[in-house]
Amino acid sequence: MNAILERLAGVAQNPYEYVKAWKQEHGGRAVGTLPMHCPAEVIHAAGVLPVVLQELADPITSGGGAFFPFFCGYTRSLVDQATEGKLDFLDAISFTDHCVQLLSAADVMRIARPQIRIHFHQLIAALDEACSLENSVGILHSMATDLEETLGVTITEDDLRASIRLFNENRQLIRSIYDMRRSGSIRLRATQMQHIVKSSMIMDKQEHNALLRELLPQLQQAGKPPRDALPMYASGHLCHAPRPEILDLIEDCGIAIIDDDLYHGYRYVSTDVDESIGDPILGIATAYLNKNDNAPCPTRLAPHTDWNIWLRDKVTECGAKGLIVLLAKYCEPHYFHYPRIKATFESNNIPHLLIETEHEGIAMENLRTKVESFAEITKRRQ
Amino acid sequence: MSAVTEKEPVVKKANRLQVTKLNNKMVNQYWEDLFHAKEQGKLVCWTEGIQINPILQAADIAWCHGEAAAALMAARKESAVPQAHMETLGYDRELCSYARTHIGCGILNQSSTVEAQTLLDVDGRTLGSKIPPPDMIISAYPFCSTGQQWDNEVYRTYGKKVPIFNMSLSWTWGNKPSAKYMSGPEYRENVAFLKKQLQDCIRFIEGITGKPYDWDRLTEIMTYTKKAAELRLEAMQLCKARPSPASFFEWTNSIAPVNFLPGGPEIVDYFAQKKAEIEARIAQGVGSVPVEKYRLWWDGIMNWNKIGWLSDKFAGYDACMVAGRYTHMGFWQEPQVIDVRDPLDGMAQNYLTCPISISAPQVIEKIIEHCEFYEIDGLILHAARTCRAFSYPQFMIADAVGKRLGLPVAMFEGDMVDETFYKDEIVNSRVEAMLEAIDASRARMR
Ligand code: SF4
Ligand code: SF4
Repeated sequence: MNAILERLAGVAQNPYEYVKAWKQEHGGRAVGTLPMHCPAEVIHAAGVLPVVLQELADPITSGGGAFFPFFCGYTRSLVDQATEGKLDFLDAISFTDHCVQLLSAADVMRIARPQIRIHFHQLIAALDEACSLENSVGILHSMATDLEETLGVTITEDDLRASIRLFNENRQLIRSIYDMRRSGSIRLRATQMQHIVKSSMIMDKQEHNALLRELLPQLQQAGKPPRDALPMYASGHLCHAPRPEILDLIEDCGIAIIDDDLYHGYRYVSTDVDESIGDPILGIATAYLNKNDNAPCPTRLAPHTDWNIWLRDKVTECGAKGLIVLLAKYCEPHYFHYPRIKATFESNNIPHLLIETEHEGIAMENLRTKVESFAEITKRRQ
Repeated sequence: MSAVTEKEPVVKKANRLQVTKLNNKMVNQYWEDLFHAKEQGKLVCWTEGIQINPILQAADIAWCHGEAAAALMAARKESAVPQAHMETLGYDRELCSYARTHIGCGILNQSSTVEAQTLLDVDGRTLGSKIPPPDMIISAYPFCSTGQQWDNEVYRTYGKKVPIFNMSLSWTWGNKPSAKYMSGPEYRENVAFLKKQLQDCIRFIEGITGKPYDWDRLTEIMTYTKKAAELRLEAMQLCKARPSPASFFEWTNSIAPVNFLPGGPEIVDYFAQKKAEIEARIAQGVGSVPVEKYRLWWDGIMNWNKIGWLSDKFAGYDACMVAGRYTHMGFWQEPQVIDVRDPLDGMAQNYLTCPISISAPQVIEKIIEHCEFYEIDGLILHAARTCRAFSYPQFMIADAVGKRLGLPVAMFEGDMVDETFYKDEIVNSRVEAMLEAIDASRARMR
């Protein structure tokens, strides 16, 4: 078990090294994607490795002269990776989300590093409009056509179906780990869970699935751990992974994160593509529009969904005693929604703690004090 | 050089155009009409972003344009209260200040909190509360996702009870070399998608008013709008003259007629008068600033709390801010493509080519064109802290314009309506350094 977890952790910690090695080994090509909704199945169906580009912990250097410091850490890191030439190993970048900061970063990246081909196909953010499905289908078709032209390949419906199957299996495997973790039948630390999901964003899905299939029984055999820690739900942190040291610090304060809606967590695997829908592009578009019900996203417009209410219900359902909101500084979509989350948790008398993270890091000792007292207060309220 | 000094910079009074008073009168009238719209039996729509007001006007619906409301609050020095109210509720001050101010008005207009009561207008009502609550919300924001989320917050602030129509404006990224400014299949697809959404939006309006849409009225309104926009562009181009008869600040003072005022003969007359006043100044050799030693470009969204003050400040530097991205590249900036008998396509084209709806490579080309046309000596880059949509390409603009035209730049942080992000000392030192660079380069040329 540890060997597999270590392998996944290794990929999560050095994502681009894996991709470079994979390219060399397979003589294949890799296409970067940007979070959070780009359907990587379409890229995979083109016969290349889709890779969700990650925030790197490296300090911002040359990118600081190309992009303002008041953008989220993820986008600042992306720009810096481009200006530093760290993304030159990619054969292209294809993305579909139009968070203003993400799109801004991509526009800066393509000027700063013209050798990287960056293509954008805007998926509609308004999910409930009459035109949402038709438009999504159209956009996905043009994304596929564009990939065909850029990469000189043909994407068939069967290619898409095969990719959908592979990705669905990966999501299902990870979700079953989530189920076990939620029920308390296994104990995985939050960083280990993050490594599992983050490595899935990078690795060849076939290889990842094989590792997960091996891992699952081992996790089960390891048995039920004693549940002495305070169960907690973690929410937020869009686009990039919260730093492992923050997750470790939280769990070292007598807390066990048992469920989450993090992008580097449940959000990434929340929704499968319905394989019974004959047209695979229609299937992907439908999954895209439905995904918000399984993990409401503040970058999407879906009047019928309330992230705050959904979160309250999820926290209660999984048996968590409270909520930890991880918010990346300058992330406007999250800023817009946080006051409602706060109000809902306050009015329902469910403890919650806001932790704002920054690319440059945060004062860990202050954080420890904050988390310890939050854990204390939560325990007393029980 | 005279402008650079260790002491406090000299402030000179800029020559304001007389016609601006007419603009202010029209703006005041608009707000008065809006404050009393419900009493006159009108439905009210809240909207931000693109200028969909002609579409609403044709259906006899009153509108509150969110940015305009926020700018009004800032101009009347009253934006701090709704902003503080939002901060109390947990909205971070890094969020778009327009959105914070406008949503704050929405919250104030529903509440009778102590904070709300502190924002008293002369007749004892809060300015925020005087904006009538919406009967419908139309979200139509180009490029900036924050705009959509702002509308979503307004919708939720009113308990999800007010019908909302969400339009999605596609950004022409340029996946293929065929994608050019206002041409190419990718651009045309995006225009067609927006046009279709505008048609759907009109059906949404019909559903609310229960009346068939008055397309003839839209043609009439767009005829005035187009004419006003053409006169505005002609008048702007006259400012190529030396000294420049009007400045960027005078154009920011004339945004309302092409952004949210009703389309009618008044806005045409306004720009006709403005053009005539500019022509008269040219004939008399009168400039917008008492001495025009430097001609500058303002890049970025306007700092509404500071508009008159900045205008005098730059006059004090003997610098005329001749043109800018916000004014000269937006607000019915391409009127020639509007066919008033069938206006939706042309309207969509204008919406999709506003300065945040075109990508950085095209923004840069356009700015270079303008800088060459207006014979600009240097660029002021106002990095609006909470409008990332406007500020993000500024390093690239500085780099490209510097390399291609050899122009120096001064970049400083500020904001649209949140004063706290603006630091006067930094502005002084950066602007002075830039003017020194212009002097040095002129000395080399001699
Ligand atoms: S959603 Fe948030 S984290 Fe993601 S790019 Fe936008 S601002 Fe950054
Ligand atoms: S950030 Fe700028 S472009 Fe975006 S909604 Fe606010 S004012 Fe508009």
